[in-house]
Amino acid sequence: MRKYAKRGLLAGAVFSALWLSACGNDGNNASGNDGAKPGESSSSPTGQAEQTQTEPAKGTEQSAEKVKLKLITISSDESRQAIMNDYIKPNLAKDLPNIEVEFEETADVAAKMKIYNASGDLPDVFWSGSDYAPAIINANNQLDLKPYITKDGYIDNFNVKEALEYRGGIYALTSGADTYFNPRIFYHKDIFAKNNIAVPTTFDELVDACKKLAAAGIQPISTPGKGGWSPAFFLIQSMIQVEDPAVMQDLVANKTDFANPVVKNALDRVATLAKAGAFGKGAANLDYGPAKELFTQNKAAMYMMMSWELPDLEKNVPDLDYFLWPKASDKFDPAGVVQYWGTPLAGYAVSAKSEHLEEAVKLAEFLNKQDALYFNSTGAKVNFKVPESAPAAPLQQKNLDDYNKTALKIPTLFFNMDPKTAAEYNNAGSLLMTGDYSADEFIQDFNETWHSNTFFN
Amino acid sequence: MVRFFSTKISIAVFAFPALIAFTVFVIYPLIPEVVISFQKHNGFRSDGFVGLANYYEVLSSKSFGKSGLNTLIVVLMSTVLALPLSLALALLLGSQGQGTRRLFKAFGMFPAILSVTVIAQMWLAIYEPEWGLLNSVFKAIGLEDWGREWLTDRGTVIYSIAVAFLWQYIGLNTLLFYTGLKSIPQTYYEAALIDGAGPVKSAIRITIPLMQDVIKFVLVISILGSMGMFAHVEVMTRGGPGYWSRTIVYELYYRAFMSSDFGAGSAVAVLFVIGCLVVTLLLNRFVARERLEF
Repeated sequence: MRKYAKRGLLAGAVFSALWLSACGNDGNNASGNDGAKPGESSSSPTGQAEQTQTEPAKGTEQSAEKVKLKLITISSDESRQAIMNDYIKPNLAKDLPNIEVEFEETADVAAKMKIYNASGDLPDVFWSGSDYAPAIINANNQLDLKPYITKDGYIDNFNVKEALEYRGGIYALTSGADTYFNPRIFYHKDIFAKNNIAVPTTFDELVDACKKLAAAGIQPISTPGKGGWSPAFFLIQSMIQVEDPAVMQDLVANKTDFANPVVKNALDRVATLAKAGAFGKGAANLDYGPAKELFTQNKAAMYMMMSWELPDLEKNVPDLDYFLWPKASDKFDPAGVVQYWGTPLAGYAVSAKSEHLEEAVKLAEFLNKQDALYFNSTGAKVNFKVPESAPAAPLQQKNLDDYNKTALKIPTLFFNMDPKTAAEYNNAGSLLMTGDYSADEFIQDFNETWHSNTFFN
Repeated sequence: MVRFFSTKISIAVFAFPALIAFTVFVIYPLIPEVVISFQKHNGFRSDGFVGLANYYEVLSSKSFGKSGLNTLIVVLMSTVLALPLSLALALLLGSQGQGTRRLFKAFGMFPAILSVTVIAQMWLAIYEPEWGLLNSVFKAIGLEDWGREWLTDRGTVIYSIAVAFLWQYIGLNTLLFYTGLKSIPQTYYEAALIDGAGPVKSAIRITIPLMQDVIKFVLVISILGSMGMFAHVEVMTRGGPGYWSRTIVYELYYRAFMSSDFGAGSAVAVLFVIGCLVVTLLLNRFVARERLEF
């Protein structure tokens, strides 16, 4: 019996040792590609040349096999979903036959990237956002694509190459459609006509129009407030611009803060609209999709949104038009000032730790081209040379003309915030949408965070 | 043989794999968490040690105080309202016929096995201020003034989410209680009936004391489950408006993953673990009793 017990103990010890050794495996041998060591495929242009010299036979073998890459991309709106379903997936096998892609689509790439980063397993290609990209770049995990796209000539596809640059490098490939996106107030012409409402040209007229519509049982404005989406991305900025664009320029350049009286007035204007019920009930918890549906289903008269929704709206809302932001002082010329969205960090990026850098860069280039083709097909202008521009629909052309006519184009404030500041800005913005939160509370809660914003460091 | 298996060495050997698993999956992840809580860390890299700065920042913030209060509200609602309600439903179920019991067993478990997203979306529709079920019912019975913007009103948002959360698990708790109820010998009730005890007296004098193990189990999982409420908050309000509906675990997520402040997020995590340990100790201290044999 004692002998059996000893054998049992020995078997237990062996099992534990095997189990521990399995836990200690770092996963390099189980990557599922071809059993190659990191760098054998292509760690860098130089690295690959060296590897080809030392192991030419293996390199040839690998080129015949499909390279597996992991891609995390954004699926936040219908445009992004259309790009994925109508362009990327159908064209991938044709354009990149040697690459097999494991897709992961999410509306919150930033959170996913942090999780992947923490696990030490970054995807080969990912959607880069201006809020989280600097941290990845600073950690040397986001590849500077400049040498790669210069070497293969892809950079020549861009009309304005400088628009891609961030701190002298290129960290994301963007079609450039973002630069032409701007916030607009879309409206139903027939709802306005039926209720004898003229297009507001001043903020007070906008408030009056909202009151009239609310009295008629129609929700005046629809815009996503959940997580402070609209206030953070454009509403507060627009409300500052309508009084004094110079203050907005100062804020974007970190030359003033949220205690500035013009900024305070702007916050008051958002709170005033919320208190007047302009955004409808529960606006602070209204998601992106439902906010759009309220407008497209004629339940809301106006829709405050970025112009990337214009192609879809123009196709589906027959009585659609938009008006320029109504002014709150004579310092603002509605036709002369516009907020633009673009940032060189919003686009397809490559992990510097990818085991297949060259293939990952090719995939990023392919993805960016699909973006450009999609936006081109909608009539949007892009910074990427595409075969032939589709003619823009009338309202899109009007938007483009209005955009081109504006003398002063102000970048989006939100992109000049580090993640902590951006998150707090979102919070305070969503509270403003409740109508139960004052401009003073906003300033008290947020101004200190703004002062500790590390974006400008 | 028996003597051999009761030696310290053999106990250690047989406990070894479980101990390793516990260390790898429970203790080991806590160590970097504690280390990061003393660092300035953005989730991608550390910028060095900052002492207790993260703890100071977290403990002095409005949002942490609010999330702590919200967590306490959920725990209290779970223990003071949901648990007695589950027990009452179990007692009621015990007095019902076979058909009713089968029906409840089927439908009572249903919410617990549904995805949180489905439950949260359903309650989002119930709370919708314009056309949601709750406000529509109030309107239909002439109580329109009772209608609220349930998920954006600072006075109602956490209670509204807590109701959705507790509703999901009430059926499960009821079934756990019911199982405990069935393990009590019927003869005790017959004897009580002969002595003139009614249903209420029987419940207080027989059922509840003899179900103490089940009650303790349900109490522990309810309290710890309520303390860890996250998914319902994420789907229904994302902790908003602002920070009004954040729980401690959501505060942890917000700081680490939304603010990219892993140092502060880890500080919240460490404080949360300490809180859970204290609660567990208190539960063991005040709820644990000698097991009753029957």
